[in-house]
Amino acid sequence: MNIRNFCIIAHIDHGKSTLADRMLQATGAIQDREMREQILDGMELERERGITIKASAVTVTHEHKGTPYMLNFIDTPGHVDFHYEVSRALTACEGAILVVDATQGVEAQTVANAYMAVEAGLDLIPVVNKIDLPSARPDEIAMEIEQVLGLSAEECIYCSAKTGEGIQELLDAICDRLPAPKEAAKEKTQALIFDSVYDDYRGVVLYFRMMSGKLKANDRIYMMGTGRTYSITEMGKFTPKMVPLKHEFQAGEVGYAVAAIKTLGDVNIGDTITLDAHRAAEPLPGYQEPQRMVFCDFYPSGETQFEMLRDAVERLHINDASFTYAAHHSEALGFGFRCGFLGMLHMEIIQERLEREGNVNIVQTAPTVTYEIKLTGGKIIQITNPADLPDMSTVVEIREPLVTCEFIMPNENIGDLMHLCEQRRGVYKSQQYLSETRQILNYELPLAEIIYDFYDKLKSLSRGYATMDYTLTGFRKDNLVKMDILVNAMRVDALSVIVHREKAETRGRALLKRLKKEIDRHMFEIPLQAALGGKIIARESIQAMRKNVTAKCYGGDVSRKRKLLEKQKAGKKRMKRIGSVDISQDAFMAVLETDE
Amino acid sequence: MKLTVLSYQKCTGDSSLLQPFEGLSPSDVHSLYLHIPFCFHKCHYCDFYSLVAPSEKKQDLYRQFTDRMIEELTLRATEVIAKPRTLFVGGGTPTLLPASQWERLLEALKTGGWLDAVTEFTVEANPETVDQELLAILVAGGVNRLSIGAQSFNEKHLKTLERWHDPARVAEAVGLARGVGIDNLNLDLIFAIPGQTLDEFDADLEVVLALEPTHLSCYNLTFEPQTALMQRMEMGQIEPLDESEQREMYEHVIAKLALAGYEHYEISNWSKSGQRCQHNLAYWEGDNWLGVGPAAASHVNGRRWKNEPHLGRYLSHRPGPPVVDVEELPLNEQAGEKLMMGLRLFEGIPMAKLTAMLEPQDPRWQMIAQLTQMKMLEQTATHLRLTRQGLFVADTVLSELL
Repeated sequence: MNIRNFCIIAHIDHGKSTLADRMLQATGAIQDREMREQILDGMELERERGITIKASAVTVTHEHKGTPYMLNFIDTPGHVDFHYEVSRALTACEGAILVVDATQGVEAQTVANAYMAVEAGLDLIPVVNKIDLPSARPDEIAMEIEQVLGLSAEECIYCSAKTGEGIQELLDAICDRLPAPKEAAKEKTQALIFDSVYDDYRGVVLYFRMMSGKLKANDRIYMMGTGRTYSITEMGKFTPKMVPLKHEFQAGEVGYAVAAIKTLGDVNIGDTITLDAHRAAEPLPGYQEPQRMVFCDFYPSGETQFEMLRDAVERLHINDASFTYAAHHSEALGFGFRCGFLGMLHMEIIQERLEREGNVNIVQTAPTVTYEIKLTGGKIIQITNPADLPDMSTVVEIREPLVTCEFIMPNENIGDLMHLCEQRRGVYKSQQYLSETRQILNYELPLAEIIYDFYDKLKSLSRGYATMDYTLTGFRKDNLVKMDILVNAMRVDALSVIVHREKAETRGRALLKRLKKEIDRHMFEIPLQAALGGKIIARESIQAMRKNVTAKCYGGDVSRKRKLLEKQKAGKKRMKRIGSVDISQDAFMAVLETDE
Repeated sequence: MKLTVLSYQKCTGDSSLLQPFEGLSPSDVHSLYLHIPFCFHKCHYCDFYSLVAPSEKKQDLYRQFTDRMIEELTLRATEVIAKPRTLFVGGGTPTLLPASQWERLLEALKTGGWLDAVTEFTVEANPETVDQELLAILVAGGVNRLSIGAQSFNEKHLKTLERWHDPARVAEAVGLARGVGIDNLNLDLIFAIPGQTLDEFDADLEVVLALEPTHLSCYNLTFEPQTALMQRMEMGQIEPLDESEQREMYEHVIAKLALAGYEHYEISNWSKSGQRCQHNLAYWEGDNWLGVGPAAASHVNGRRWKNEPHLGRYLSHRPGPPVVDVEELPLNEQAGEKLMMGLRLFEGIPMAKLTAMLEPQDPRWQMIAQLTQMKMLEQTATHLRLTRQGLFVADTVLSELL
């Protein structure tokens, strides 16, 4: 049968999911009465945030010019944090549908993902979506696509996922314009794992794309990246219902497999499945160990005990292995977990899911990046917590991760963006006109400078119009130092940050000002200090509380007043007491906010 | 009149059927409190249980109420060894109760033996509602102390409080009281009223001092939940003074009254030597007291309860009034409460009492040591007490010891 493997790439809210659903409906894969909004988005949280975290694949049959075609829709995650996952999903495809909103135009993520698709050798079909909207400018947007991505405006298909206009034309184009899977060059079995999900009954469900050879249920398989072996207990396809199949999967096909794999941590996206008895000579190219970009600590707070947090973290990790965790002890905060994430959004999602699904209260420290530390003697170590920085006398250099950032901006905000990038130690790379009103800018920036409030700043300076995407490019040494924060003369390890030497004083002053706002006044004055090594570079002080005393307290008031005071005390439980100072969650995050 | 009823109930079941003395061995009750809930107007800062009586039914209602209060006293006399040393009648506005009802009530107290051991008998008085006739009846009935709600002498600030009395009436009331032989007089004063300046407060103090009361209660205005004042603040109509201004006024009153020869013996209370309010001391020292009347709270040997704040049910419920918020705290929490109340007194808590109520391994000892090191608490030869510094942030200090 004719096979077409393709994915849909789009910026958030440009209508990817609606388009996918409409196409499934047009092929008869789902009946109108079954039509539920956004079939491909499974999780509640995803829907709330309007993004897709986990990819899945759906196989449908479509008749075109009298010939049946097997269409495999491969979903890609839509957020900047999931670069690697996107790249693996792309590798499973021969073609991609590039969806651009007819009112919004090309966005940074569209560009980044389109480039990635081209690099992966995919053929693209540009689609201008939402043409039903009154403010749609399809011709203009098609020109933008031609200008930026070099895809002829004439090739653009105009459609409306909402009304169904242009959908048939798009399905025909998929059959006509996208290539069939290449003939397998090798005989031995190679299947690419491009996604995995956890199912309470089956354990891990793998999504794979057959690249060469054959695979069927009951085969003993070998994972070339992790070196583990399993037996396939079930294989099949999503149509979009989960349908087990007995047949032998051939090169070019897409499906799912179940192999009694207990946790998602045992599986790596991008890994190659081969037959254990007839192993392929080498794995498929492009495999990477998962890379965590952002780290932070979670500590139990309030009524939550460490053991409760541990249970919640372990339980979540079974369902979502995209984050890492390791028990960690902080001088100031006690026992907790150091966790690694693909990016900031990912961190927020995990924290929310932990609290929501695990029913725990968490105090989270400010996120940091990985630093490479070159020690005297040449040894290089990586740290993910500024507090772990070894004694400076043994440190030769500190290297920080760099990213290249691509921004798509309205012309009038370019100046503000440049100013922001300069503040964040950015290096200008290039600039290109996208249309008369918008430009693409490239900057090299330290990852540490964009992980926290950068995106919010970008959005606010452009009134929401700017978009960005970034790729990690490597590590570079810089004049970096660890800044310690002392609260009431006690060093709080969880508040330490690594900063650029030249910016240390400004950052220190700004940080203490923020802390001053976030820490409640106490019975006593609280000195706040920022220090480099033993040298104090900034100081502030939180004035003692002036007055907090109940004026009236007589016989009828005793219970009520006691409860009021208990409430005051309970409020403190949601904080962490360090020495005799209560520090709130917001104060830990304030470390990264640099506004003055 | 809506009032939030705290729902904490240690004893389960229909609380209204609960007999508060059930299971308690008869104990001495050293203080008796009577609550008269009537007011002719609800002041905006007030969170006590009070209601405005409908005028056409007033006389009948006052009579029914007095009947019921006498019945409650009779009932309680069978349950406690009732030889109170102090008696306090508060409200509401006790002086709104007509003279004829007062006569009946006082007579019942006397015949019930409630007055036999009483050395201090206080009635709260509103300057607008005391007259010679009533005062004479009170004195004849054994009242020897009057507490007059002056609050402020500045008409503008009285208006903010929605307190309707002519400030000149305070001096008249004081004169009338002395005329009938009541020399032990307390005046209530409120400070930190929105818009009030330190000078204006000082002027109030001058007026008060000129009246030479034996006792003074000076309260920093509190925005209590469910009061009109709180509502007005939330709506942005009035703004509380800031913490520094409040502290300045508090420091001022402390200094000024010390110079005028008053002893500061509790956070908001001052007296001439030997004239401390014995009744209120019972609250702060965690003694046993009995409350009679709607919304009145009681405490006997670690058990607390409150008569339901509802006049209708107070009048109709038999045999005793419906009771709510019964709680019997575990010893550990009782200790917290004793600390919370006891440290309000300037002398503090006797060390002997402290060591009797806290186990040696109680973590509070460590907290006490820490707070002492922070100079919030200090130990005298006999007592543990708040320092001057600790006084201003007493709630924060006390919350650590609960």
